[in-house]
Amino acid sequence: MSQNDKTIQQKLAELDGLVAWFDSDDFVLEQALDHYAAAEKLAAEIEHDLSTMKNQITVLKQKFDSAK
Amino acid sequence: MENVPTPTFSVSEFLASINQTLEYAYPAIEVEGEVAGFKVNQNKWVFFDLKDAGASIGCFMSVWQLRQPIEDGMTVVVRAVPKVTQWGKFSLTIQSIRPKGEGSLKKSFDLLVAKLDKEGLFAPERKRALPSMPGYIGVISSTQAAGYADFIKIIDDRWSHVRVDVAHVQVQGEGAADQIIRAIRYFNESEELPEVLVIIRGGGSADDLSTFNDEQLAREIAGSRIPTLVGVGHEVDETLADMVADVRAATPSNAAQIVVPDRDEIIRQVRHTLTRAIVQAEVALMSSRRAVDEQLRAIVERIDARHRTLHEQMATIRGVLTAYDPMAVLRRGYAIVRGEASIGSHVEIERTKDIITAEVLHVTKR
Repeated sequence: MSQNDKTIQQKLAELDGLVAWFDSDDFVLEQALDHYAAAEKLAAEIEHDLSTMKNQITVLKQKFDSAK
Repeated sequence: MENVPTPTFSVSEFLASINQTLEYAYPAIEVEGEVAGFKVNQNKWVFFDLKDAGASIGCFMSVWQLRQPIEDGMTVVVRAVPKVTQWGKFSLTIQSIRPKGEGSLKKSFDLLVAKLDKEGLFAPERKRALPSMPGYIGVISSTQAAGYADFIKIIDDRWSHVRVDVAHVQVQGEGAADQIIRAIRYFNESEELPEVLVIIRGGGSADDLSTFNDEQLAREIAGSRIPTLVGVGHEVDETLADMVADVRAATPSNAAQIVVPDRDEIIRQVRHTLTRAIVQAEVALMSSRRAVDEQLRAIVERIDARHRTLHEQMATIRGVLTAYDPMAVLRRGYAIVRGEASIGSHVEIERTKDIITAEVLHVTKR
């Protein structure tokens, strides 16, 4: 799944994972800058998605006034 | 007129003719009155009289048409077809019946609440949580209703990237409950299920909202595979549909606030999350610095300790050396004698301040 195919919820979960690394036993000071850059990029992408994407609202053609 | 022959019917023909005339004259009527002598036979057929101060009509219907509990004394409106039975009894064949007036609606509502509560339809353990960020929402409402417009506006204001499929239905009056039931079934039988089903309607009179107190509708909502959110009327209005739903919203606007998160709030959270990363990195950096400082301090302390030990060792050695210094002995008044201890020989006597040469005159052996 490419980054563009991911839902906002998936991207938020990924961001949480990136930030959780800073608090984990895997944390290495030398890699912190790279991890932060990745988190910052993802956060910017989420903000962009939220600001630009539109909802897709469709009124169904299906009629419900009588049983089929 | 006298030449027109008087028609002659068989009894059956006459009743058929009467019924045809009634059907033509009153294809569908609504009659309001008070229920009396309400009874259910064989759990299939319902009989009662509809009366007012001056008259009474017998009514007949099947149990499955009974959408709300009815009791003697209730004021109801029946939709019915007038008919004369084969025994010559005039009655109304009921198509639908609904309580009318605050007292009757309340009584019917209370009876149904007690019945459904006994079945556990309102039990908290039945309630399912709604997804926090649904990608696909099914909405059941009238697209002409003000509540619907508010709902859509708030959804657009708050969130992005959600698919909303709207089933346009009648939300009040005859047939409304059935339309909502069909829409619920439609979504529940879809190949791709919405993650949440939202049923909304704006405010209205108790009669208007009575659609949402329909027993079959309440059961359909309770049985939905898709978690349900119901927002009907205003905050003070409570319907059976609200009570059986997984989540109740006070109004359609409130339903929109519940069903999708707030974009601005999520952006704030994202920024806060990033700040957390910075803080954690700073904490890690400070912790590393502290560790380095502690190491350096430990090294300095070890050097100090080593220095102190060497210093103490030097002092001990110096003390020993001082104790062995011959000059220290001479300073205490002793002298060093060098030479052979035999009579006539010369010996050298060293003192602090001088060296004396002396002849040995006498030797005593110890």
